[in-house]
Amino acid sequence: MKPTQVYDRTKNVLEAALERIHFIFDNFESIHVSISGGKDSEVLAHLTLMEAQRRGRRIGIFFLDEEVVYQSTIEMVEYIIEEMAPDNVIPLWLQMEFNLTNATSLTETQFIPWEAGKHDIWLRPKKTYSIKFPMWDVETQTVADKNKGFGFYDVFRNFERCYHNTAFLVGLRGTESPNRWRTVSKNPVDINGQSVYWGTRNGDNVSLYPLYDWNFHDIWKYIFSNGLPYHRIYDYQFRKGYPINEMRISSLIHEKSFKSLVDLPEFEPRTYARLLRRAKGIALAQETGKKAKLFRTRKLPKNFNSWRTYRDFLIETHPDPAKCAIMTRRFTKHLDNEYVARQQVRQLILNDYENNLPVDNRPDPRENWIKYYMENL
Amino acid sequence: MIYLGLPDSEKEDIVNHYVDEHAIKKVVLIHGKSAPYLLSADRVTYKQVILYVYFYRLLQEIDQNTLIVVDECLRTQNRYDLTYNCIRHYINRTSHIIVFQLLPQIDECNDFMILFDFVTQSQWKRHKFDAGLIADHAKIERIDFNFSFTPIYIMTPDSTKQKYERKKKQLFDNLGVRDPHTIPRNLYLVGSGDKRAYIDTRSLPLFDNGKLYVARNRRLNRDNVATYGDVLPDRDYTIMEFPYRFIDFSDFVYTTRQTNYDVLLADLKVDRWYLQRYEEWKDRLDETYASL
Repeated sequence: MKPTQVYDRTKNVLEAALERIHFIFDNFESIHVSISGGKDSEVLAHLTLMEAQRRGRRIGIFFLDEEVVYQSTIEMVEYIIEEMAPDNVIPLWLQMEFNLTNATSLTETQFIPWEAGKHDIWLRPKKTYSIKFPMWDVETQTVADKNKGFGFYDVFRNFERCYHNTAFLVGLRGTESPNRWRTVSKNPVDINGQSVYWGTRNGDNVSLYPLYDWNFHDIWKYIFSNGLPYHRIYDYQFRKGYPINEMRISSLIHEKSFKSLVDLPEFEPRTYARLLRRAKGIALAQETGKKAKLFRTRKLPKNFNSWRTYRDFLIETHPDPAKCAIMTRRFTKHLDNEYVARQQVRQLILNDYENNLPVDNRPDPRENWIKYYMENL
Repeated sequence: MIYLGLPDSEKEDIVNHYVDEHAIKKVVLIHGKSAPYLLSADRVTYKQVILYVYFYRLLQEIDQNTLIVVDECLRTQNRYDLTYNCIRHYINRTSHIIVFQLLPQIDECNDFMILFDFVTQSQWKRHKFDAGLIADHAKIERIDFNFSFTPIYIMTPDSTKQKYERKKKQLFDNLGVRDPHTIPRNLYLVGSGDKRAYIDTRSLPLFDNGKLYVARNRRLNRDNVATYGDVLPDRDYTIMEFPYRFIDFSDFVYTTRQTNYDVLLADLKVDRWYLQRYEEWKDRLDETYASL
């Protein structure tokens, strides 16, 4: 039976995080921090680098550059790697080809960052010190989904396989979503006899989440108290009145983030102009990314009388038969009702053949109501 | 402290008394409806609660010398709603909190736990409605708001009944992907022609006693028929149609403070269904009052 975790309420989250980072430095020779340029990973990098500075150690700062990111993201990553504590940083800025889901286009379903031969339309030139080729043996590299090819998470997995007994630190916070909380705390990892509830084992290495119990205002308090610069887009989103749960920084085109394209021309017009040349489907997603009848799939277009007919139409006219076949195979295992069909339409429109936005496969909740009204009205 | 059923005129006195007693330096009023009191307080509407321009400022400004007054903020039944979570963040920074609310629930007794969370720093956020728990940990002062419904029966001709059956069949046949809750709302309109005839007759000089009616919208185009959104305070209205959502009726009750509601009731199944639904709602309200 697993021991029960007892959460220590006597410390504030900063004290607890510092304690965790001390523990990591005491137990691991090799430490890497994964950063995205967002606020959480910035705070994690700062906390870790300050400790590295105190101990005179060097730690890896890992950034997987998807190319299609805000310019402000790049400026933040440059700040963390080049200015925060440069003597204590091993820069691990990866700029290499891999497949990234492009939710904005049905014809160019995979975007390949840093694609060879397209350097004249890359969003920006590569960094001089970035890692431009795989550090691992390409012959034996692992690929999780053969249909997709070498993807975003495959880069992480193969990169991590290059290391042994290394702590990979990630700025994941449990309060962002129940899934994240579960990821962090479900399987405690044993580190030198101590059961650690804020990490998971990852082959020879461990992934650790020292900020797992921080709330978003703890992050902002830390940034303010330490006078750290932060991603400019947060300010733009703040001024535009974004709700808390939508203030996020990530890639601009995958199925969970394409909505950021809607405001991109306003926030970073130059990035948007470059992106228009670089990837397909950008203009359409920019115009309709928040529209109920298209990318949000909340309303049925008036040409169709049911989500099922709309779904069948999309399957029939899908421009990529291979990807469509993956999705239709999956749909055969689903229930046949309007509730499920609407979600299938969303997957088809966002080209989510990887099932990143899973379908809630259950009876249509409307059916009980229809029966009730039939009997009582 | 939770105050239920208090008129606006008493709220300011309670707040002022609390301010004097606890040496409060700042009052933040979060209000779900217009609150014509505490005009000098830092006023934040329910909709503004989640906006960053208010959120960060208030997190910085609220401290142990701040009183937070939460007035009529029971707006949704989701206890984990973003707005409630933001209010929690404010409340966690001070121990001075006063909650004003007319009705203790939107639909069911568990809604009251949202108010309970406000005054207990959300320590029992996972607990359902529990009268014992509430009695142990929250102070409540209340004036129960009791009201009743009196039906005014309106006979409908056979043509209306046939129209009703046709409409019902058409709605179910053509429901498609639409929300099934649109069915009672649409069927409810069938009897409105007969109700309009009743209103027109009652508005003739022979009968006219200045009676006002409330309907779901302005489609009747009569001066004496208001919508739920534009009813006037302290006036008595006869209900031509109930709103579908209980929160809309709660808002109506809050504005008018009427204690007896005459309801136009066509002899159609949907009209009886609506009245029964509201009577059951009132019973649930009475049960909550009884257990508090």
